[in-house]
Amino acid sequence: MRVPLSWLREYVDVQLSPEQLAERLTLLGMEVKGVERWGADWRSVVVGELLTVEKHPYADRLHLTTVNVGSGEPLHIVCGAHNIAPGQRVPVALAGAVLPGGRRIERTEKMGIASEGMLCSGDELHITSDAEGILILPPATPLGRDLSELYGDAVLDVDVKPNRGDALCLVGLAREVAAVTGAAIRWPEISVEEVGDPVSDRLRVEVREPELCTRFVGRWVSGAKIGPSPDWVQMRLQAAGMRPVSNVVDASNYVMLELGKPTHTFNGAAVKDGTIIVRLALLGERLETLDHVERELTPDTLIIADASGPIGIAGIMGGFDSEITDATTEIAIESAVFDPVSIRRTGHQYSLRSEASLRFEKGQEFRLARIGADRVAQLTLAWAGGALSKGRVDTAPTEPAAARIAFRPARVSKLLGAEISVDEQRTLLRRVGVETELASSGTRIQVSGAPKPLVVDPGSERTVVAIVPTWRRDLDIEMDLAEEVARVRGYETTPAHLPDTLMPAYRPSPLGVRELVRQTLAGAGLSEVVTHALVSPLDEARLPWPDDAGEPALPASLAAQSGHEIVVTNPLSVQHSVLRRHLGASLLDVLSLNERQGRSDVGIFEIGKRYARVAGRPREWTRLAILLTGAAEPAAWNRAARPYDLDDAKGIVELLCRRLGLAEPSYVPDTRGFPFHPGRALLVRQESGAEAVAGRLAELHPDAVAAWDLRAQRVIVAEVALAGLDVAAPLRVHVEPLPRFPEVERDLAVIVAESRTAAEVQSTIERHGGVLLRRVRLFDLYRGTPLAADEKSLAYRLVLGAKDRTLTEPEVDSAIEEVRNGLETDIGAHLRT
Amino acid sequence: MDFESLSGDLHRLRDLALAEIAKAADPAALDQLQIQYLGKKGDLTAVLRGIGALPPEDRPRVGAVANEIGEAVKTALAERGSELRSVVQAQRLVAEKADVTLPGRTVPRGTLHPIPETVAAITEVFGQFGFVVYEGPEVEDDLTNFQMLNIAPDHPARDLWDTLYVDIPGHLLRTHTSPGQIRVMQSTRPPIRALLPGRCFRYEAVDASHGFEFFQVEGLMVDEGTSMADLKGLLDEFAHALFGPRKTRFRPGYYPFTEPSVAFDVECVVCGGVGCPACSKTGWMTILGAGMVHPVVLQYGGIDPERYQGFAFGMGVERIANLRHAVPDLRYYLENDLRFLEQFR
Repeated sequence: MRVPLSWLREYVDVQLSPEQLAERLTLLGMEVKGVERWGADWRSVVVGELLTVEKHPYADRLHLTTVNVGSGEPLHIVCGAHNIAPGQRVPVALAGAVLPGGRRIERTEKMGIASEGMLCSGDELHITSDAEGILILPPATPLGRDLSELYGDAVLDVDVKPNRGDALCLVGLAREVAAVTGAAIRWPEISVEEVGDPVSDRLRVEVREPELCTRFVGRWVSGAKIGPSPDWVQMRLQAAGMRPVSNVVDASNYVMLELGKPTHTFNGAAVKDGTIIVRLALLGERLETLDHVERELTPDTLIIADASGPIGIAGIMGGFDSEITDATTEIAIESAVFDPVSIRRTGHQYSLRSEASLRFEKGQEFRLARIGADRVAQLTLAWAGGALSKGRVDTAPTEPAAARIAFRPARVSKLLGAEISVDEQRTLLRRVGVETELASSGTRIQVSGAPKPLVVDPGSERTVVAIVPTWRRDLDIEMDLAEEVARVRGYETTPAHLPDTLMPAYRPSPLGVRELVRQTLAGAGLSEVVTHALVSPLDEARLPWPDDAGEPALPASLAAQSGHEIVVTNPLSVQHSVLRRHLGASLLDVLSLNERQGRSDVGIFEIGKRYARVAGRPREWTRLAILLTGAAEPAAWNRAARPYDLDDAKGIVELLCRRLGLAEPSYVPDTRGFPFHPGRALLVRQESGAEAVAGRLAELHPDAVAAWDLRAQRVIVAEVALAGLDVAAPLRVHVEPLPRFPEVERDLAVIVAESRTAAEVQSTIERHGGVLLRRVRLFDLYRGTPLAADEKSLAYRLVLGAKDRTLTEPEVDSAIEEVRNGLETDIGAHLRT
Repeated sequence: MDFESLSGDLHRLRDLALAEIAKAADPAALDQLQIQYLGKKGDLTAVLRGIGALPPEDRPRVGAVANEIGEAVKTALAERGSELRSVVQAQRLVAEKADVTLPGRTVPRGTLHPIPETVAAITEVFGQFGFVVYEGPEVEDDLTNFQMLNIAPDHPARDLWDTLYVDIPGHLLRTHTSPGQIRVMQSTRPPIRALLPGRCFRYEAVDASHGFEFFQVEGLMVDEGTSMADLKGLLDEFAHALFGPRKTRFRPGYYPFTEPSVAFDVECVVCGGVGCPACSKTGWMTILGAGMVHPVVLQYGGIDPERYQGFAFGMGVERIANLRHAVPDLRYYLENDLRFLEQFR
């Protein structure tokens, strides 16, 4: 809320500078976001007196004026306005002046006559809304003075929190200032002179929804004359960020800013039979609102109606047909209290949220309905004249008494961690208008309110009852008073100390394994990325990542990790409208962005979530995704470049398995094709008890690369589930005793058909190696002469040993023979000798 | 053949050998000389073949001379050999001279993203004070995200959290990490010291300081005597750990799920408190929101507010990272331009 300091001073004395006041209010919880110097953008605008006003010889619409600006020769200024006359004091923009919006005023020539400046309208200075005439200043305004010195102001931008609707007005903020400085509040003098007929002759109000409109106060002014409101009123409204409209509308807006009470003024003549009905809209009813939009009303909309139909949406916006116009003389004033929830829903429903509805949403002080009606009537009479009918229409004249909240000062001290005496707490509360008294026996404490009310008996604990002013609707339970005590005393007085209470039990961090993976992969040369979880539904088509369900090569636990896409029902854009079901597309987006920056070597990873709806419930799983393209090792003066390939991705997974204390993973070819290269895609799996690695590694199909509009030749992508990414899993290394007897190494060159996979060969060796075989490692792969064209040779180093003896040559030979026979019979391999 | 002439032959042979050894230019020549003089078919052996022609009493004397000469030649060979090797080594070292000012062979080294790194920095500090890490779901239910946090449907405070909803009834993308407070309280008993890092979502247009996806870290501490003074003490430690010895400020804030509520500021990291555009001329930067857990929230967590009290705090990870690393634009984080990421070496 924008608070002009000069206006605030009407209700409370302020000795502090605007900056000091801003800081004090901020420390009290009324955060001041900024202090704006109102009028700071009037440069070289001074007060002048019109000496002469004559017709321009060549243009009927223009006047020639001479203006005394207090010093030097009178200025000759050409002016187009018609409300000027000699003797008036007016704002003069001198040559070189800059007006709001950056408009520069220079010495010019208008229809052949030199003009040495400009006379300003209120609109040009952003002081009033009058763009037609020149702003006429009071006769006593000192000549030659800078206008900003006279009318400049400091405007505080106060961020009033949603629970403090009572402070969303000048009087409310004046109360807060008073709490800070101890100054007294000056409540505006509200008194009206009732001269007309009884209001009941003019206005009848029927509230058919008393739950949604708990109070409706009406007033009636006859014979008002609509016109602009006084300049000082317009200036205040402008400074507070509100556009002046007309005296009656301005009166309503002024009261909203002053007291926080939104009211509405109708053209009384347009209210049929003088009867206002507050009811729900009927199906098919329509209303053209003040913004000239014809709206179809839904039956849950609370409306203000007359006998012929809707004339306003309650608390939101009035109807166009009952708008105050220049011809209006009869004014019906509505000052009501509406249900905050209903107003909020309706405002959202029609995308209509106004200064008024924002205040209604936060709840209204009940008695303000009466006070607001009187204040609007008072200002209407003052600014627009007319006669006020006697009395008010009031549907609920009984105003509730102040609420009483019991609290235990010792509990307040315990919560704040500061010993604050009962007397001090009572004194502090008095500064925000909360009176206190010692509780009588039987007083109960409201520890917690709706929706989980908890009321306790304080027993022998000392208890105080706070009498809460009716505007403080936010104060409800014991701890609300603790906050008042704390904030008036100043949060800065809270002592600071480190907790000395019990520690919680140990819990392994769910970030532990992720941290280890991150460090390992960064050490392996990959850069970590963090991408959006919300992606485009088109990604699914461009990169149709296969479902893990029913994939025999993957553990069954992964099958449950698929399901339906979760869709955002109110997305900001289609680009980010679904939760991703895999991470691959996100990494391709990163590649695409970096390619546009000229990067072709990209090795990245992300530890992030994939999401799906499974059996109507949302599910989330943390995965590791990898993307590799371009050079694994860029060319340098001492090294040739080496491109990334699928083996790098496998190597990374193998590295992680070692780091996580797992055995080597196994690979199964995935020949599905698009979006993967049909010959360069695989499923990876490693299962050691519950700890598992499972996922996919693949080179992208060229069509998929093209679909993402990438320049890269080859792109490797992977998404892997790792034990410990989601739930903390302890890592343990189990040590094997060191061998006491020497191991024996034998190399075997296995010649097999090209169609046989390395995994088949290795598993055959392991199957036939017997108890003596300890390790097998592939160390060479050869194709070419003397092998046949459809053959390849895989060279393995076998390590054999026994725990209890040194192996003899015949033992080793027979184990190798066993392997050789197994290779021959199982996969038709023979050994190269 | 007599002893004298044979001995003379041997001495001549020795002189010849020593001269040639001295002249040898490389180890290969020495090897050649070794074979030539001392080998089975070498000159020394050839001379000694004449020993049979000597009278038996002279033979031991010749043997002694021959041994002596053999040793002398061997010694000369060894000495010359060692001399030559050191020359060769010296030459090799000269030849191997490298331009040591050339850059090294690059060891591939990736980078770690500032978001998880900042989360790690935050959890490290609070971890030292006994806070343990929990995580909650990102697709939350309205009950936990709002209602159990004392934010009823149509509560005006819902404006503080513009929400993205999903096509699962009663569910939304969590707008903050605060629902984790409820989940922790429901799953464990006091004493509680919990940290909840994670991704959050809001219906918010993207600009330099806003995004619809962002990260938060929530903290929760509940015990019988946990007070606002504990909160202030911990937050001061945290601010000092991350931002150095700066002034801090504790002031009233507003959240429906805390009472009293707190906003926590540190002295502007740009201007040091003088006032600058980065801190809107206030000299302060707000780094987190906090407060004492509202009794209703404790009750939803299954904790008796008459017996226990506690505090909660929540901070934006990007905000902390911005201040620590002077990142000018929030969009940098999820854009993943490697020119940005690689600055976090």
